[in-house]
Amino acid sequence: MEDRPPSDAALAERARRGDEHAFAELVRAYQAIAFRTAYLLTGSAADAEEATQTGFVKAWKALPRFRPGAEFRPWLLRIVANEAHNRRRSGKRREALGLRAAAEVASGGAVPSPEALALEDEQRRELLAAVNRLDDRDRDVLACRYFLELSEEETAEVLGVRRGTVKSRTARALERLRGEVES
Amino acid sequence: MNELERALVALGRELAVPDAPALAPRVLQALEPPRPSTSRRVRLGLALAVVLVAALLAALAIPDARSALLRFFHIGAARIEVVDELPTVVPEPPELDLETALGERVSLAQARRRAGFDLLELDERPDRVYLGPRGTVWFLYGRPDAVRLLVAQTPQLRVDEPFILKKLAGAGVHVESTRVRGNPAYFLSGEPHELILIDEHGIPVQETARLAQDVLLWEEDGRTYRLEGDLTLDEALDIANSLR
Repeated sequence: MEDRPPSDAALAERARRGDEHAFAELVRAYQAIAFRTAYLLTGSAADAEEATQTGFVKAWKALPRFRPGAEFRPWLLRIVANEAHNRRRSGKRREALGLRAAAEVASGGAVPSPEALALEDEQRRELLAAVNRLDDRDRDVLACRYFLELSEEETAEVLGVRRGTVKSRTARALERLRGEVES
Repeated sequence: MNELERALVALGRELAVPDAPALAPRVLQALEPPRPSTSRRVRLGLALAVVLVAALLAALAIPDARSALLRFFHIGAARIEVVDELPTVVPEPPELDLETALGERVSLAQARRRAGFDLLELDERPDRVYLGPRGTVWFLYGRPDAVRLLVAQTPQLRVDEPFILKKLAGAGVHVESTRVRGNPAYFLSGEPHELILIDEHGIPVQETARLAQDVLLWEEDGRTYRLEGDLTLDEALDIANSLR
């Protein structure tokens, strides 16, 4: 029988008791999503890198307060998101998000026609431009829910608000986005 | 989920987000010492051992073999070439017999059979082969009293990354992070040092660097490899990359 890797809960518990190896495994497991979160919140690779690294270090210090049995991912992402917000506040205006080059976008299944691709690309650019015009609060909740694909519960944890607030903020942000797209 | 929400999810998957940097080494370096615990006390004891051993070996005034170094590694061809005058590395104090420390002397064929895993080998056959504790296979190039290179391959031991990055570096050992075939690797030079590896149960294992010299250490396919000798980083990497 194959050995299964230790669960997040087991690693977090070991890290909580001072095991740096366990924490290193958690860093490796979550650095991609943590960095993506910070990048989407700051729009800057340098700020995101700093926020992610500092976030991990702060998470290590905060581990004694981590509730055994709680979900590690949203707890960590909240710390990283706080760091990202701090950098956004102290820095200049958030940079606009961009799209990957068409060649990098993986296409599965049937290959669409060049015309269809051009149309989709234009629609994507318009939608992203509309997202970029939203204020930080709307953009953050949409980034968590749709770009990071977090659940309402995780989004609430990451943004430090109640679940009901996530629901209402998301609805309002979507409404404003629809208005931006149609304008 | 409505059409706009689906479009946002699709958009999110096509955003230009830079690749995440590998943060674990930097994060580990920035960590403050863990809170007091049993494992911390064990590590503090081991760290103290490092300092003591470093001081002891430094006091023994090990000759600098590098002064006699000839280019006995043929870097371009990535294989070892023997020249007339061999540079040698003085093993640990004579009373700690190197051969005893390495284990049972066996033939290369016996080592291949008994290792329990596929050994990585250089083009040049080792002069001596040993089967040591924890299933470590040692290749010795040169003679026990005039070693050119030691290659160790150990199953089921992990590299103690925090120990290397923090404790060894703190004890005056120069630590350089590098890669061997894409695997994280560490080149340790400077002060003589101990190594701490982690066994399959997560227990730290004290492993003396046999030559009190430069060590290149890495994990690959669940095994720990190390080269010991009077090597520069480039030389060690060339040898490591030519193991197959």
